[in-house]
Amino acid sequence: MDRFQRKHHDPHAHVIHAPHKRLMSKVPLRFVWNKVSGHGPKSPNAALNLVSFIDFLMVTVIFLLMSFSASGEMTVDKNVKLPKAENVEDMIDAPMIAVNGNQILVDGTLAGSTRAIEELGRLQKIDELFALLKNKRELWKQLQPNKPFPGVCILQVDQQVPALVVKSVFQTAAFAGYPNVSFMVGKIPSTN
Amino acid sequence: MGGVDVGEGGGKKRSTNSDINMIPFIDLLFVTIAFLLITAVWTTNSRINADAQVPGPPDPNKELTPQTPEKVLNLHIGDSEFSLVWKQGATVVSEIKVPKNPQETGGDSKIVRYPDLAKKLEEEWKTQGGHRDPTDRKLDQCILFSDNRTPFKEIVAVLDALYSPKRDMKFADGTSKKLPVFNMTFSVR
Repeated sequence: MDRFQRKHHDPHAHVIHAPHKRLMSKVPLRFVWNKVSGHGPKSPNAALNLVSFIDFLMVTVIFLLMSFSASGEMTVDKNVKLPKAENVEDMIDAPMIAVNGNQILVDGTLAGSTRAIEELGRLQKIDELFALLKNKRELWKQLQPNKPFPGVCILQVDQQVPALVVKSVFQTAAFAGYPNVSFMVGKIPSTN
Repeated sequence: MGGVDVGEGGGKKRSTNSDINMIPFIDLLFVTIAFLLITAVWTTNSRINADAQVPGPPDPNKELTPQTPEKVLNLHIGDSEFSLVWKQGATVVSEIKVPKNPQETGGDSKIVRYPDLAKKLEEEWKTQGGHRDPTDRKLDQCILFSDNRTPFKEIVAVLDALYSPKRDMKFADGTSKKLPVFNMTFSVR
């Protein structure tokens, strides 16, 4: 313990010395010596390395921001399995007509039966669908009287539905004032 | 390194190594991640255009002038082949047959595609297409003929091939965009 006894004040103590074999061994403090020699107690404040954690969070945020879509989610009828295509366009906001194996729905409201069209075996105007779409069109015109009506609707058609039903719905939509019909499809990555 | 500063009880001298408090920063990152995860759209849907070719009401102030009919592509979906017929009015300009050679990809939900048809449609448009100038905003018309029993999956595969040839189109604001050369409608019969 002599090491830590206060020595006589040396006026040249600040002069630079030749390095010793161990750094800070000349510091006359017990806790410093304990630290230097490796026998000191573990510090109660353990520092957590946050760099890798923040890096991970940053990468996650950047990935999610890049894949973020502000256009919102289009609800797809759970009974409709959409076909997939490559040469497609982005979705737009328009009335949605869902056609599955049993029924036709306009924005969730029943507007006809697929089976009935198949059983009849010929193209036909679907009256309920026509009435619903016409009402929608008139409502749109009342709400926006100064704008030209776009006449766009989107068909969500199940991939197994026969062409007869598709053509009947297509034709009915055109009669009701929606000549610009789009088919909703799943997007497959471009090969070009 | 940034660390969490737990504070020191009444130090006399300010430390030269000051730590940045990282807690608000990490909180912000967590909130951003939570927001983005909640609002994320994991399934991307798109659309394929079609046009019912409904003529608008006639303008009573405009005098009707007889116009020569445009060339229209009639695409027939057969059992074993496609038939591409260019018609001008009732006159058949050209007709070719393309064998049906479907390529199926995907696992459980098979995706049908017709790359041969897409190639042939591009060749046909290059020789017969009427609207090729970038300033021309009109598209060449295609009428699709299919059997009533054809599943919608197959119609979409044909539409995908039909919209594969693209051309540059210039808009009024000076921008240019690549758009499909054909516009499709169904034959109703």
